[in-house]
Amino acid sequence: MHMHKFEKAWLIFGIGSLLVFLTVLGVSAFYLGNQPPSCLATIDPEKVDTTVPFNEPGLKKVEGKDWDYELVYVASAFSYSPAEVEVPYGAKVKIIATTKDVVHGFEVAGSNINMMLEPGYISEHVTTFDKTGEYLIVCNEYCGVGHHMMSSKIKVVE
Amino acid sequence: MAKTELSRKTKTEIKASSSLKGTLASVFLLGFFLIITWVGVYLLFISRF
Repeated sequence: MHMHKFEKAWLIFGIGSLLVFLTVLGVSAFYLGNQPPSCLATIDPEKVDTTVPFNEPGLKKVEGKDWDYELVYVASAFSYSPAEVEVPYGAKVKIIATTKDVVHGFEVAGSNINMMLEPGYISEHVTTFDKTGEYLIVCNEYCGVGHHMMSSKIKVVE
Repeated sequence: MAKTELSRKTKTEIKASSSLKGTLASVFLLGFFLIITWVGVYLLFISRF
């Protein structure tokens, strides 16, 4: 098959970039363990208040895990519990969140933490808070008349 | 009497070797633009917590 040499160059470049992108994706998923926030963990949405760990929302220190703290959130129309939380600077935290009623969003503005909270599912995100400051949590899935009032706050303190 | 056109064969001239340098340059410009924007977004993702 005759092919112009420029065409060959372009095809090699295109297929090469595709392989690089797929490798980055594969390393991220299978070596670094990145996964979607809601990954097969389920809960009975009627019994959120009595189910561990959602019976006690807030920051808790944990031992013997890959992370130092667990930060538990329960979302409901139109608020988050807890409404404000202080996280020590540099702490590795697993955020665990769910909703009691409808679909809510969970976005920590200006960070990579951005999850959808669906009734019946638990959403999780592990992160290290390595910048001090106040971070606003907002709901970014329209959930009803009070949607725009729905927020919470994370304070990262030394 | 006029001849019918059906039986007459016409030859179209094909110009050999027109330059494809401009095509190559523009397609690589697009390629590098895509890669630079992709890497930019990826670095932003890596740098935030």
